[in-house]
Amino acid sequence: MEMEKKKLIQFKNIVKDFDGQLVLKGINLDIYENEFVTLLGPSGCGKTTLLRILGGFLEASEGHVIFDGEDIAQLPPYKRELNTVFQKYALFPHMNVYDNIAFGLKIKKMSKDVIEQKVLKMLKLINLEGFEKKDVTLLSGGQQQRIAIARALVNEPKVLLLDEPLGALDLKLRKEMQYELKKIQQEVGITFIYVTHDQEEALTMSDKIVVMKDGEIQQVGTPTDIYNEPENRYVANFIGESNIIPGVMLEDYKVQFDDIVFDCVDFGFKEREQVDVVIRPEDLDIVKEEDGKMTGIVKSVLFKGVHYEIMVETVPGTRVSVNMQVTKEHDITSSDASEKISANDFYVDIEDVKDLNDAEIIARADAQAWETQEDEYISISKIEYDIKEEIGTYPVTFATSNGTSVSIDVFVVQQQYVENPKANEAIAAFNFFKTVDEIKESAALDTDLKTWANAQSWKLSDESDVEISNVEYDFDPDHITAGTYQVTFSTQGREFKIHTTDIAEEGAEVGLTFFPEDIHVMSKMGF
Amino acid sequence: MKTFKRLTIPYIVWMVAMIVIPMLLIVLYAFTKQGNDVVSLQFTFDNFKKFFTDPDFLKTLWLSLRISLITTVLCVCIGYPVAYAIAQASPKKRNLLILLVTLPMWINMLVRTYAWIGILADNGLINHILAFFGLEPTKLLYTDFAVVLGMVYNFIPFMILQIESSLAKMDKSLLEAANDLGANRFQRFKNITFPLSLPGVVSGITLVFLPSVSSFVIPKLMGGGGYMMIGNVIENQFISVGEWNFGSAISMIMAVIIMISMYITRRLDKGDDTVRARKGGNVQ
Repeated sequence: MEMEKKKLIQFKNIVKDFDGQLVLKGINLDIYENEFVTLLGPSGCGKTTLLRILGGFLEASEGHVIFDGEDIAQLPPYKRELNTVFQKYALFPHMNVYDNIAFGLKIKKMSKDVIEQKVLKMLKLINLEGFEKKDVTLLSGGQQQRIAIARALVNEPKVLLLDEPLGALDLKLRKEMQYELKKIQQEVGITFIYVTHDQEEALTMSDKIVVMKDGEIQQVGTPTDIYNEPENRYVANFIGESNIIPGVMLEDYKVQFDDIVFDCVDFGFKEREQVDVVIRPEDLDIVKEEDGKMTGIVKSVLFKGVHYEIMVETVPGTRVSVNMQVTKEHDITSSDASEKISANDFYVDIEDVKDLNDAEIIARADAQAWETQEDEYISISKIEYDIKEEIGTYPVTFATSNGTSVSIDVFVVQQQYVENPKANEAIAAFNFFKTVDEIKESAALDTDLKTWANAQSWKLSDESDVEISNVEYDFDPDHITAGTYQVTFSTQGREFKIHTTDIAEEGAEVGLTFFPEDIHVMSKMGF
Repeated sequence: MKTFKRLTIPYIVWMVAMIVIPMLLIVLYAFTKQGNDVVSLQFTFDNFKKFFTDPDFLKTLWLSLRISLITTVLCVCIGYPVAYAIAQASPKKRNLLILLVTLPMWINMLVRTYAWIGILADNGLINHILAFFGLEPTKLLYTDFAVVLGMVYNFIPFMILQIESSLAKMDKSLLEAANDLGANRFQRFKNITFPLSLPGVVSGITLVFLPSVSSFVIPKLMGGGGYMMIGNVIENQFISVGEWNFGSAISMIMAVIIMISMYITRRLDKGDDTVRARKGGNVQ
């Protein structure tokens, strides 16, 4: 690429807030002549706001927009040397194709024959010759799109702004228009600034991609740079699919993750710096177990057309098993048989005893009382307990206002938990007591089991929560009988996504391999 | 779908009984002689001849058309800027302004018109104010001016609401696009906003012209007992003179005139299209 290009637009520390909400947090960006620049990011990242500031439809709260060496902050849209292709085209419905395209030229009071010449040239460029008398409202989305482009380009702007122009088109047409747009840009040779949330569109068309998030620029670079050398986890995730693994940079060209040291081509990090490692799914190969740099178990295989998407678990998740004691119904019926009350024994961590109050105990014991005739819940009005912050068993009595009562035991225990230093995780859960009916009636059993067992998992390093992704149990919930059952909770292990044309079998033990240059090491995002 | 269709049956029955049949009766009366009975119908064009040969009737017709036209033009000229201002306001303000426009309609038209009589009368509010400043008293009530004022006052909300709704539902990105293509505020209004609001203007014109051309209460009150518009003539024929056949004939003439004027208005709106197509045609 020749680097002697002229800076056409400079954003200098652009800040925009809407009623105190910061939408742009100091954008600095240079855009050169004849560039196809894409502002890429999810909705709400500020990309459209930036475009509208450039177009003159919004005013920046702070900062300068320099256009061709001049600050254009005070210039109204109609005096700016740029044109916009709007998201929903915004063609004038009361004008035909010709008048739509000619609009800008007529405003400039050009002579009729010049206008005619230019419009016809534009129609040729967008491949819609002979459409000049057509009603724009009767055209297809793709044709309207092209007319919107022609209407903007005919004014010969220095910059064309495109605000998600392909969003309303179907997939096939969108692909066609991507090529067409790139072709038009190369033909007219002006700067295109293109806003999209579609990473594929950005990769296909752009000379330069600006990845944005929450009003800040994450990375600016060519499509290949952005894809192969993402600067942080966010960019890697947003552009293409990727496996992102936390690791440690031991020294230049040596990175460690999941307790294995790998060669890589990255350097310049601090010694033992915490990093994120990116491996693209297509860079991983499945080989025989003994040939792999890592080994794992095939968890799932999905056919994706051109390739298979295979998930391989190389490090199992952290697991803990608890006992669930299932009893038959243990409702207490009042002497006159008019109401019933029930509650379960439960375990509590010695550290949590001080947090126990009436409501918490009712919830943990799942204490309920109801009228037998109407089957309506009634409130538990009395609760007696004396639980000390010492290991032991304590009785609790629940009673209704009529005096129907039930007693349970609360076991205060030292909570046991399983540590998994390799995955930097710990997991804990309690044994618990339930009735047959409660299990049969559960609508979301996995979630209920997690709640009943008070299952929790956290990072050893900073105690942040880790999701418990798997719940396994050795009973059939529809036909459960009284007895003791085992419930196992586990976290997600390390899984790699692999795109390959070779098929692997689910459950097979395989090896994974890759080249040192397929690893890309990034600094952790500073939040 | 079927149930919905069935729900329209009461309306259709109502329409036939209360609109179609009476209209057919008007046609029947207009083309027959006074004093028919069911057995002998005597068809005639005399009723129409009577109308078109009597200069007094023609004068009244001309007056009615002129007053209604002036009313309609004034309603457009005053109503458009008001509608534009309302459409530009913030949603909260907009609702309030629309409420203000519709508020007078909550009060009976007669009461409001009597209020104007109080204001315009020879010893009314305006003449009192004029006298206070030492100015000559002016005759305001029972003039063409009073009739037009009464009509504009009564019918302008319809115009404002129609134009406002067509302005409010206009796609804002069209205005941005016009700006983007180099149009300043005036050019934008002339080329985009106004042409796109024309359907609202046309239906506003319909809603103002129709009631004003056939109105008879306002001319009677604001124009005085002797003030005759075509509505008053028809009323007289039915109520005082008892010539139902002649009255029906005038009603039919009015209906035809209204239909023609509506057709012309529609054409004017569409005419924009035809001009456009021809311009496009010149290109090749």
